[in-house]
Amino acid sequence: MAEFEPRIIAFCCNWCTYAAADLAGTSRVHYPPNVKIVRVMCSGMVNPIYILKAFEGGVDGVLVAGCHQTDCHYIDGPVKCDDMIDRLRKALHVLGLEDERVRREMVAASEGVVFARIINEMVEQLRKLGPSPFKVRMEALA
Amino acid sequence: MKEIRIGVYICHCGLNIAGTVNVEEVAKYAETLPNVVVARHYRYMCSDPGQDLIKSDIKKLSINRVVVASCSPRMHELTFRKAVEDGGLNPYLYEHANIREHCSWVHDDRKLATNKAKDLIRAAVRRVYHHEPLVIKEAPLNPNVLVVGGGIAGMQAALDIANGQNKVYLVEREPSIGGHMIQLDRTFPTLDCSECILTPKMSDVGHHPFIELLSLSEVEEVSGSIGNFKVKVRRKARYVNESKCVGCGICEEKCPRRTDSEFEMGLAKRGMAYIPFAQAIPHIATIDKREERPCKAACRAACPIHMNVLGYVSLIKEGRFKEAYEVIRRTNPLPAICGRVCYAPCQQACNRGQVDESIAIRELKRFAADYERNASRIKARPVEITKEEKVAIVGSGPAGLACAYELIRQGYPVTIFEAAPEPGGLLRYGIPEYRLPRKVLSSDISYMKDMGVEIKTNTTVRNLDEIFRQGYKAIFLGNGAGSSQKMGIPGEDSHGVLYVLDFLRQVNSGVEVRLGPKVAIIGGGNAAADAARVARRLGVDEVTVVYRRTRAEMPAIPSEVEQMEQEGVKIQFLSVPVEVLSRGNRVTGIKCARVEMGEPDARGRRRIRLVQGSEFTIDADNVIMAIGQSVDKSMLPEGLVFTDLGTLDVDPVTLQTNVDGVFAGGDVVSGPSDVILAIAEGKKAARSIDAYLREEELSTGEGGQVEKLSEEEIAKLKEQFGSRKRVEHSKPDLAKRVRDFEEVEQAYSIEEAQQEAERCLASAIEGCFQCGECKEACEAGAINYDQTDQIVELEVGVIIVATGYDQFDPSVIPQYCYKKYDNVLTGLEFERITCAAGPTEGKILLNDGRVPQSVAIVHCVGSRDQNYHEYCSRVCCMYGLKYAHLTKEIAKADVYEFYIDMRCFGEGYEEFYKRLSEEGVNFIRGKVAKITDEALTDEEKGKLIVISEDTLLGKMVRVPVDMVILCSALEARSDAENVARIFTINRRADGFFLERHVKLDPVATPTDGVFIAGCCEGPRDIPDTVAQAEATAAKALSLISKGTVTLEAAVSTVDEAICHGCGRCEEVCTFHAPKVAARNGTMVSTINETLCKGCGGCAVVCPTGAISIKHFTQDEILAQVAALTEGS
Repeated sequence: MAEFEPRIIAFCCNWCTYAAADLAGTSRVHYPPNVKIVRVMCSGMVNPIYILKAFEGGVDGVLVAGCHQTDCHYIDGPVKCDDMIDRLRKALHVLGLEDERVRREMVAASEGVVFARIINEMVEQLRKLGPSPFKVRMEALA
Repeated sequence: MKEIRIGVYICHCGLNIAGTVNVEEVAKYAETLPNVVVARHYRYMCSDPGQDLIKSDIKKLSINRVVVASCSPRMHELTFRKAVEDGGLNPYLYEHANIREHCSWVHDDRKLATNKAKDLIRAAVRRVYHHEPLVIKEAPLNPNVLVVGGGIAGMQAALDIANGQNKVYLVEREPSIGGHMIQLDRTFPTLDCSECILTPKMSDVGHHPFIELLSLSEVEEVSGSIGNFKVKVRRKARYVNESKCVGCGICEEKCPRRTDSEFEMGLAKRGMAYIPFAQAIPHIATIDKREERPCKAACRAACPIHMNVLGYVSLIKEGRFKEAYEVIRRTNPLPAICGRVCYAPCQQACNRGQVDESIAIRELKRFAADYERNASRIKARPVEITKEEKVAIVGSGPAGLACAYELIRQGYPVTIFEAAPEPGGLLRYGIPEYRLPRKVLSSDISYMKDMGVEIKTNTTVRNLDEIFRQGYKAIFLGNGAGSSQKMGIPGEDSHGVLYVLDFLRQVNSGVEVRLGPKVAIIGGGNAAADAARVARRLGVDEVTVVYRRTRAEMPAIPSEVEQMEQEGVKIQFLSVPVEVLSRGNRVTGIKCARVEMGEPDARGRRRIRLVQGSEFTIDADNVIMAIGQSVDKSMLPEGLVFTDLGTLDVDPVTLQTNVDGVFAGGDVVSGPSDVILAIAEGKKAARSIDAYLREEELSTGEGGQVEKLSEEEIAKLKEQFGSRKRVEHSKPDLAKRVRDFEEVEQAYSIEEAQQEAERCLASAIEGCFQCGECKEACEAGAINYDQTDQIVELEVGVIIVATGYDQFDPSVIPQYCYKKYDNVLTGLEFERITCAAGPTEGKILLNDGRVPQSVAIVHCVGSRDQNYHEYCSRVCCMYGLKYAHLTKEIAKADVYEFYIDMRCFGEGYEEFYKRLSEEGVNFIRGKVAKITDEALTDEEKGKLIVISEDTLLGKMVRVPVDMVILCSALEARSDAENVARIFTINRRADGFFLERHVKLDPVATPTDGVFIAGCCEGPRDIPDTVAQAEATAAKALSLISKGTVTLEAAVSTVDEAICHGCGRCEEVCTFHAPKVAARNGTMVSTINETLCKGCGGCAVVCPTGAISIKHFTQDEILAQVAALTEGS
């Protein structure tokens, strides 16, 4: 059986982390293709529904990444995002999803290497963790 | 609903995408997606033919949604939106898929990358299905521009914009504009003088009608967005009124404190009030006040001549004794004398006295004066006589000398007439030598003679008209009160009764005075104490002082009383003599009576009452009367009016007597008093005489109230400074001292003086301690210690950030020994050294003043070094070459350049390198490993040895040199992070500001309307900096010329049908865009679109889902997410 390849959706803020991913590209810093990026204007814009929707669709991990606290284009987006993640984690527990499946990061525009490192770590970690229990149950139902 | 017809366009980007992603396969796949009408791939979609494909499909195939899969949307989203708009669609009916930066460039597996590209395109197609046309609104742009940073970049940008007649606010944090460039000596490769090319620009900026310069100011907060920024600027207190200051520099000249000059890189000093450099713009002073003074400077207020005690004490603390002496000399004509005999009201008032023990101010003054005299450094320069009106001074006591000193310093020709054979008055004839050695007196008096004061001794003035006839325009009478008062008791005429002034005058003149073995002295003042101690020194065994009040009331200086008692003098307090006893007209003793102290009289002195039957007798061979002195009218010229007390009657303000042009002061006016009070009167009279001669109003002022510390302040200071008692110094052996007239009070040693000065509370603080010297000297009245920081709010449309760089501090590289060895310098230090206006006036000198014979220049210090900065600092090779040239030219020294690579890329740079090679510079290719002074050979002794590999020879070399210049890197400002946060600029990993695009948008930032120029974006030379500054100006001018800005279309919107008006959106919004208000009877939220930035925070918290963000709606993002979950 082929090795399990986790699928990840990353919500990246336009100003910092999306730019960091661009910089990783410009600098040709490689990382596995398991991640697909959804561009949002601000990490504070990420609605928990989007994350739940991703898990419902069968992804194994979600990354929410944006500016550092001091860099935010909208001043306090990261605070709003942190609040949202805190609230979401409780719901994820109820659904039986491990904490590691939702990763919250702050990656500045200059940190292309950091972005690539985070993706590498996530892929590695999720490979060990195995498929999302949500997906397993959905498949069993189907 | 109209049918959704989507066109998908996949870019090859040459091989950038097509090399990894199978674009044909992706296009074929895209055509299979629902609603996709056409999918094409093309080599460069961003090219005109590529864009034309889209426009043509919109027309011919009636597509109404477009997806382009290419590079990052941060690069070309706007390009394609424009193409879509040109094709006739709303630009928001477009979606971008990033298959280059996020796919082909970061993955190498062709199959996986192709699959990922398909996923990303599918997601974009699903998303664009939901896109709605958005209305783009315009708002007027405020044409004012903020430029931050007054270096060459900021100045150039400001000038370009202001020359177009647009208002520019230029904010500079330092007191002057000029930045680093004004510190440079010459500029490579042309070697033209940096100052010469920069100062005209600085001057233009300073005088430009469209530039408002805010120096010593920092931006604290920026809000709003392009076109309408609101900026809060902190205008730091300069403590100088900018509109009054004329930039004369007298404040710095007078300032007693010195600190390292930032402009001179610490190689020279500046005052706490200072103008940073000669060409500073604005050319006004700044006071470097960092904290409040912990004490109230009561010393200064208490001193009758308001000496700058804080100033000279702090200078002594710092070991700058010559300057301390100069500060004392500015106000005090007799420093060494006052350092001994002054009753020191300063010391009594000293606020430290409230904390533990007052500072020994008089001893410190004496220390400074003695130290300078012993170092033979006291030398008065003759004063230039600039005035014609001659002034005559009668009497050479302290009042006369002080008056003469003040007048001659103002350029008046001054002559002192002294009746006695030697000048000095009571200082010479009244004060014994053990308190005031004659050489000290002579030194202070000859200082005045050296200045040009003429002293005519043995000359009694009897006739004022005679003096006026000799051409004198004003006369000062400082005759003193030289007549001893009589007691008026029986037996006073007996042989053996002496009067104190006669007694002291005889002793001080060297006349032999014989006293019996027992002496009684009547009185409790300094003269009584002097007489008692002199008597002991003349061999009298039993000396008794009779004083009518208690010790507390004794007018003599307490330390004198203490020493008198130590020397064996007895004191009978509360006793008055009632009769001098005699036998055969020869004194045998004195009959005294006891007294009681009664209630205080009007002057606060307690009355005394005789105690009946308390008489007692003191045996004495001599009685010295020291009960007071009075004015000797017989010694004064005729025609003067006296008071009832027998002193001269003068105007209390002007000190003028009843005769026009005749002034008087000192004891002749006040009655017997103290040296310092006489000096104060003499100085006051001098001011009055000056005003009289210039026919001007006499200006009063100066001084201030003696302020005490409050209990809370004392407690705080005790906690802060702890308790530290006065430093005591030794006195000579008691047995010896009563045998001769050697000075009793010994001076502090250097260490003792400095330790004592350290106790001064005022000099414990850094920066200006408000001694008031500058304030007094400033004729414009510009100094204001009470200024506070001001916050000003500016409204601008565009912001240019040009905050420059910091020089890398090479002391963090231990093996280069910067700051350990004196002759290891940084680049900026060497710039100051070669500058003709710099600390060495352009001479290249070693720390010991020698001219170096060999100099090493070390490249790449802190740059191209993975331990510090990996980047190349770009300017160091060229400035290193410039140093080599200057060193050869100025010092004629051998030069060794240690380089890794020579990077001479600019106009004329390579040619300059070639020229230097021909000038005989030794180029050694290799990174320097170590700089040491450990010599291995005789040749290396006393040298700095530069150890490096020579990579061309393939061996290690040791090069002994006299001086090493470290080509230090340019690095990001230490506060770049904070500046980036204020302006919402991103930074690179190296700390410099990040441009929007490294090649194609080099001066823009992610924040629209904020541009960056110069070294804040990375190291660069002056031509590049200027070009970049002009680029930012062009950007600003193009925005101003358009006059409007496009408002963000992707803002929040409320579905009023669902909104409950709960107000969560209002709570979370940082920009105050949502407002809940009643509408048709229900509470609903409305978004102010000009305030909304489109961050989407409100939509996340909206419990009903009434709020959505245009272009980032839930439908759009959920469609995108759902599509991504379906893929590989």
